[in-house]
Amino acid sequence: MTPEKTVVTAQDIDSSAREGLRRALLALADGKRLMGIRYSDWLLGAPSIETGIAASSMAQDEWGHARLLYSMLKDFGMDPTEVEHGRAAQEYANPPALDESLDDWAALVAASVVVDGALSVALEGFSEGVYEPARSRVPKMLVEEAFHHDLAVAWFRKLAEGSPEGRTRLCAAALSMLGSTLAWLAPADEVGQAQSASGLVPEGPVLLSHFVERYGELLARVDIDVVAVDPERDAWDSARGRGPGCPDEEAVSRARGDLNRMLLVE
Amino acid sequence: MNESHYEVFARKDRGDPLRHIGYLDALDDELARVYAWKTYDEERWFEMCVVPRAAIIPVNRTDGPFARNEARR
Repeated sequence: MTPEKTVVTAQDIDSSAREGLRRALLALADGKRLMGIRYSDWLLGAPSIETGIAASSMAQDEWGHARLLYSMLKDFGMDPTEVEHGRAAQEYANPPALDESLDDWAALVAASVVVDGALSVALEGFSEGVYEPARSRVPKMLVEEAFHHDLAVAWFRKLAEGSPEGRTRLCAAALSMLGSTLAWLAPADEVGQAQSASGLVPEGPVLLSHFVERYGELLARVDIDVVAVDPERDAWDSARGRGPGCPDEEAVSRARGDLNRMLLVE
Repeated sequence: MNESHYEVFARKDRGDPLRHIGYLDALDDELARVYAWKTYDEERWFEMCVVPRAAIIPVNRTDGPFARNEARR
């Protein structure tokens, strides 16, 4: 549905809502960059060659999406190159569940449902808001994300119906990710509320209900009642729009390309 | 893991013949769909589909990968 009035540039948005949109864009871009790294960790060692190839392809998708989202920050007076290559780990705004590497395939599958799922719900909300650049650029990302969703759901079902150990690991991993991810998806602070009020993204409870509609039944297969999970808002970092902590240095170094960019310095 | 073989077919443009472009192994039809799209993505396909190898009925050959299907009928 097209809103009655859209905004073409961030300059047309009032300052508090603009800050909310900038934060949300950065959180989405960082989330996709880290999600790509976590998929890339499973190019080798996935349960089959086909699954590894799919993980590789999804890593490429996520990095492509991240690049596009970072480039949109120009509209907010930020230099995308500096944002991509010059920030410390403590400045990353990704969902906290991606801070550490994922130990096994069950954790990767849990992340592809809980975290990649939340990223897609956030993106959809973004594409339905009044910010025109998001409305025009996000739909193609969502087409690619549909295959991530299908793979995540199919693997989640397989593990949920598989061995007791696989099911236990899947449940534990999903539970460990949910609270912080739901808080990231639906920030309840002033900045988050300002952008919802401006029609830039749906309100937090709406985003949460979209997540529950999409994944509630799936998570119930491992006896998780997602409605009963409280978003973890303790030690909330309003500057980044996420809970405490930051990605590990190795992941950030890979995200920035430190080792090989050093070769370019004269 | 108990995987099955799937054959992958695709056409580049509307009206082109559907051609065989490869195969893959998957646990079920849903994963076969995703693997096919993610593995054979070197072209901008107009249409792609996967067929369980076990569903292919050989017509004139008594050898080759599909002959085993006939033996099972």
